[in-house]
Amino acid sequence: MTSSNMTCEAFDAALPDYLEGTPGDSLRASVEGHLSECVRCASLLKDVENIRDEASALPDLVPSRDLWQGIEARIAPPVIPLAARPERPRRFAPAWMGVAAAALVVSTAAVTYLITSRSSGQSPAANIAQVAPLTSETPANSGTDFQVAPVTTAPAQASVNGTSEGQSGAVATLSRTQSSNRGVPAARLVSGPDQSGRAHSDLVYGREIDLLQKIVAQRKAGLDSSTVAIIERNLRIIDAAIQQSRDALANDPASRLLGQQLTHALDKKVELLRTAAMLPAST
Amino acid sequence: MAAAVSNVVRIPMGDSTDVTLAAGGDRQAFERLYRTHANRVFSLCTRMSGSRTRGEELTQDVFVRTWEKLPQFRGESAFSTWLHRLAVNVVLNARKTEGKAASRTDDSDVGDERWDEGARAPMHIERMDLTDAIAKLPQGARKIFVLHDIEGYKHEEIAEMMGITSGGSKAQLHRARLLLREALDR
Repeated sequence: MTSSNMTCEAFDAALPDYLEGTPGDSLRASVEGHLSECVRCASLLKDVENIRDEASALPDLVPSRDLWQGIEARIAPPVIPLAARPERPRRFAPAWMGVAAAALVVSTAAVTYLITSRSSGQSPAANIAQVAPLTSETPANSGTDFQVAPVTTAPAQASVNGTSEGQSGAVATLSRTQSSNRGVPAARLVSGPDQSGRAHSDLVYGREIDLLQKIVAQRKAGLDSSTVAIIERNLRIIDAAIQQSRDALANDPASRLLGQQLTHALDKKVELLRTAAMLPAST
Repeated sequence: MAAAVSNVVRIPMGDSTDVTLAAGGDRQAFERLYRTHANRVFSLCTRMSGSRTRGEELTQDVFVRTWEKLPQFRGESAFSTWLHRLAVNVVLNARKTEGKAASRTDDSDVGDERWDEGARAPMHIERMDLTDAIAKLPQGARKIFVLHDIEGYKHEEIAEMMGITSGGSKAQLHRARLLLREALDR
């Protein structure tokens, strides 16, 4: 207690506001009157102000190791870009104009194919040429803007779900240039009974899924167990959808719908794995 | 000729160029942004978490999240401001999902405006430097001290980020300062 009529307890209570510079005039006068007479409270104020000032001047800390590599591994671009972000204008992008033109050609070819196959009385599958399996060293992506895969391969899907390879449906895959890493729309064109396109697509998907699965496996320990359980459950659902599409395509290799379904399921798997690969730890 | 070359002034590429490039998918530009801001983000993460190891993990999480969110950055504030706000959110959200055991042992409940004298116990230690003392603060007080006294956020901003009242933020800050004073033996 001092002649300013403020007790040390009252000073303690007023100190936060005083430090913030927000006390009213009368309270400020009381605090300053008390400070002029009380060594204990003047010392407290000085210490707290010093801590505040020292804290604001603390230098930055430096990590003990370079963290970039871990970051880079988690933001590595997929071979197959995901669907475009909603804000991106896709409809009029030059690549899509090309795809639209290609779609027109393919649809025309498909109509012609259907007409000719009906007239000849043969089943569409009977017209599909047999192709030789390709080794896994076959380049999946040469970095060009647009690839209608000229290669055929069977084993790619084995890395996806361990099943035998479906052989039907054709997919022309648009891949982005090497210089662009993300955000470029994936364009896929189910173009009819072209086994080489489907096989190439499977190879590209297989590689991408392999890569992402490795990243997810490495990060699994750092993720929340319930999150991991949800991811695994959804992967099983997607794998089942992939397998069903492949089985159906084996019976109806010329079906565009089934080819689209398969591509869609593979997209979903890539998207889920990519999301899982980029999840922050323990969230 | 050599003199002419040596007189060339190198103008450092600003954040804005690298931000634009990185938002378009340029990882080299993003790495430059990382190199520029890594230490400050690491400092924030380490001081808020109280652990260098955890700070490194969180720093990586922050930059991965930054890469994801960068296309949404509209330049309405400085990139560094945006980045540090994002970093704070990553740290706070990570805290929410961490085990509750830690929060039960260090009376660190967010928004707890009470100051139990028992909370002083962990701070009865030998004289130490300020960085070490901050790391030993109770979690709730430490976060607010770091955000206010080191990072310069206002109580209203802290309250919004942490889902507490402005008064709660002030009380926790005062508590942190007094605990630090005691730890630093002043």
